[in-house]
Amino acid sequence: MAWEHRFSVAVSGIGMSAITRSAEKPLAALALEAVQRAVADSGLQMDDINGLATYAELPAAGHTIIDGLSIVSVNAMMTMLKLPNLRWHLQNETVNIGGAVQTATNALIAGVCDYVVVWRALHNPTGIYTAPPASHVGGPQQFTAPYGFSGIVQSLAAEYARYLERHGQSREKMAALAIAQRKHANLTPEAYFHDTPLTRDDYLNSRMIAYPFCLFDCDIPVQGAMAMVLTRTDRARELRPKPALLAGYGQRIKVEVGGRIASVADYMAAGSSSSNLTWERAGLGPQDVDVAQIYDGFAGSTIYGIESYGFAKEGEALDFVQDGNVEIGGGLPINTFGGSLSAGRLHGIWHIAEAAMQVSGRAGAHQVPGAKIGFAGASGANINATTFVFADEPY
Amino acid sequence: MTMSNWSAVKRPIPVPNDLTRAFWDGARRGELLFQRCHTCGNRQHPPAPTCTNCVSTDLGFEPVEGRGTIYAYTVMFHSGDRRFADAIPYASVIVELDDAPGALIAGNLLGVPYTEAHIGRRVRVVFEPLNDEITLPQFELDQ
Ligand SMILES: [Zn+2]
Repeated sequence: MAWEHRFSVAVSGIGMSAITRSAEKPLAALALEAVQRAVADSGLQMDDINGLATYAELPAAGHTIIDGLSIVSVNAMMTMLKLPNLRWHLQNETVNIGGAVQTATNALIAGVCDYVVVWRALHNPTGIYTAPPASHVGGPQQFTAPYGFSGIVQSLAAEYARYLERHGQSREKMAALAIAQRKHANLTPEAYFHDTPLTRDDYLNSRMIAYPFCLFDCDIPVQGAMAMVLTRTDRARELRPKPALLAGYGQRIKVEVGGRIASVADYMAAGSSSSNLTWERAGLGPQDVDVAQIYDGFAGSTIYGIESYGFAKEGEALDFVQDGNVEIGGGLPINTFGGSLSAGRLHGIWHIAEAAMQVSGRAGAHQVPGAKIGFAGASGANINATTFVFADEPY
Repeated sequence: MTMSNWSAVKRPIPVPNDLTRAFWDGARRGELLFQRCHTCGNRQHPPAPTCTNCVSTDLGFEPVEGRGTIYAYTVMFHSGDRRFADAIPYASVIVELDDAPGALIAGNLLGVPYTEAHIGRRVRVVFEPLNDEITLPQFELDQ
């Protein structure tokens, strides 16, 4: 049975900072800019905002965390904004930015606030993104780091090698997804690689990072921030932009066996445990979706999402992405802003915002014509798997 | 030419804790010890406070034979960690042992070119002393 709160909360304004490769401004300044632009996009005044939510983690090991430079906490944002009418705030620790959006939705439904801004700010540290393990390693790393097997890229690469060999697939097929997403980035002015094309030869000749992942299977770390205004649908209809109505959401409720080496979780169980909640709440299924944003921290994550969320059968996602099927104009356009691979690593908020923009008809040159139902999987299908369905109108 | 050169690699050194000390004590003696649940018989690795199958806290360490198959692997080409730069490209493997289904243990694939790493290949444990305290379980092909 569909969710009783289906369509009762909506995404209104969306704003973002410039996306740059390195830290030209303190991260807090970029987060502030994104929040101000989202509020202005809605046509609201800052004093109207009475809820704040973020997921603040710097997803890179081995760096000193400085609030305002490497993260922007909810306290930092409260300090900058001095909101006179603030009634509710949240900085969640699990399920990434999708969890912040979902909990903000719950707060709006509960009536404890009226206009929430959710933001995500991402720092790109100087030097190596994920610092190598220390000379002596305790905790879970004692079973991986001695083997030179410690970064997230290697864990996900091992999982992807297993995927490819179990399903008799070839890594070269991923070129089609990388190229589709780059074409979408070329249509998205805010995307980091807006001006840079990617050819099949570029992909096939790129250097290997951790087999089977080559350079173009890895997302591009950036410095930047994005924010969105959420409010109840009745209020959203009185604001400037056409709202995107939240039809349903879910989060992963199945976890891999605790403590196993590396991230070789059962992605089908993990991803579908989230999307099944979303499909049930929204009262529709993957066949009804016009456009999908599926998290791509590494390209393999999108493959697992396509399958576990129900868009293709297990083992067939690399075939699903061939022949333009996931490009704008194809059967199911995916990551229509370029994704983390080509637009930049904003760690999931851009996926949610793009799903909303598409059903609001506000995606500009990367708009999928007539998109009414948009899906977002805002974190790795094999990891946190927060999922969303947005609709242009109640159905 | 495709053999990884491990001779100059400085590996991070494991620091045993209350949960893992028995594992490392065993490895130093040349024994691979996995946790075994006294309630349901489940074998698990890495060591955990509770049984990952039945949630029992009645766990002990017992030897496993150390033969199994490659469950997952990656070949590392990136030299972000300079300590491993001389070994690149090298194969890191995740192994599922015959007598501990579902438990997974990491290692490097030693003694053969990295191109020999594939899902399902038979491997067996070997032991590589790092210092007087710590010996690493490693894997080679079991032919
Ligand atoms: Zn048990």
